[in-house]
Amino acid sequence: MITQYLAELAAALSFDRRLARRVAREVEDHLRETVAEYAPGDRAEAERRAIANFGDPRVLAMQFASLSLARRTRRAGIAVVLAVIAVLMAMKVRVAWYAAAEWRIGEDARQLAGTVLAIDRYAFWGAIIVGLIALFYAGYIRVPAVLQAKYCRQNRRVIFLCAAAACSLVVSVVSDGVLTALHLSGELREAAIIPLVSMAAEIACAGAVILLIIDTLRGRMRTEALLRA
Amino acid sequence: MEGEMLKGHLDMIVLAALAPGPAHGYAVIEEIRRKSGRAFDLPEGTIYPALHRLEQAGLLSSRWVTAESGRRRRVYALTRQGGRALAERRAVWRQFSDAVGGLLDGVRPSRRPA
Repeated sequence: MITQYLAELAAALSFDRRLARRVAREVEDHLRETVAEYAPGDRAEAERRAIANFGDPRVLAMQFASLSLARRTRRAGIAVVLAVIAVLMAMKVRVAWYAAAEWRIGEDARQLAGTVLAIDRYAFWGAIIVGLIALFYAGYIRVPAVLQAKYCRQNRRVIFLCAAAACSLVVSVVSDGVLTALHLSGELREAAIIPLVSMAAEIACAGAVILLIIDTLRGRMRTEALLRA
Repeated sequence: MEGEMLKGHLDMIVLAALAPGPAHGYAVIEEIRRKSGRAFDLPEGTIYPALHRLEQAGLLSSRWVTAESGRRRRVYALTRQGGRALAERRAVWRQFSDAVGGLLDGVRPSRRPA
């Protein structure tokens, strides 16, 4: 009976597998201890009473859902801001390296580089500002005890802001890629390793954030499905 | 006691139950029952989302331990921030309780700092 109840609880918590595993282990310990307290006597009756006292798995899942949603959206907000900082550092390292190596863009590509640089700056500042707004908004939202439609809407806004910041960051990274290509065009020497590694780091950061936001979106959809069930 | 009335104060109740020392979910429920003279009898499952919520808020910390029975169990403890939060909520509650008690009994509440 307990095993069946735990399976029902795990299914209700399927929107967050890690949470489902942890809760199932905690609840199993709780139910076994409760049954042990009822002993000696009818074990099946003791299990039935323990489960009845514990509550409906779906109601519990609704209570855990708001916590799971809050953790996921905050994590997405923090990841966006950290990725922006990492991209900034990679950018600074590359620019310092160009200055140290006296590596300049050729005369013929200067005009194009100026345009790309302007796009890069706006996109980067856009990513910082929108990312910070998402993070502060995620921190400002009060997590309800039970999942509510209003809370889901607020979380959707945070994820939208995170996605907007991530898109802006991707534009900035692509611009950096173009600028790096302009710097390296014509002469690919050993010293190019620093710009190439820093570009790889930027691409990895932007990619990781995009994947995390996709994962957050999927988690949000699975969690919100509880409200419709 | 009314379930809805209890739910509004569940976080404070759980923090107070953990004030004597670290405990797992079952022990927290037992402590609540014992200290309240069995007046608080919530559905047992309600405690776990509250424990997770308080941990996420930084008011509790938790870790897995192996019990004498050999089962793994999650033990929760008040953090320093949790201790401060409990002290604040306790003071606010006493002030509120005095004020309501004064209104209901027609006695002027004693003034206490919040």
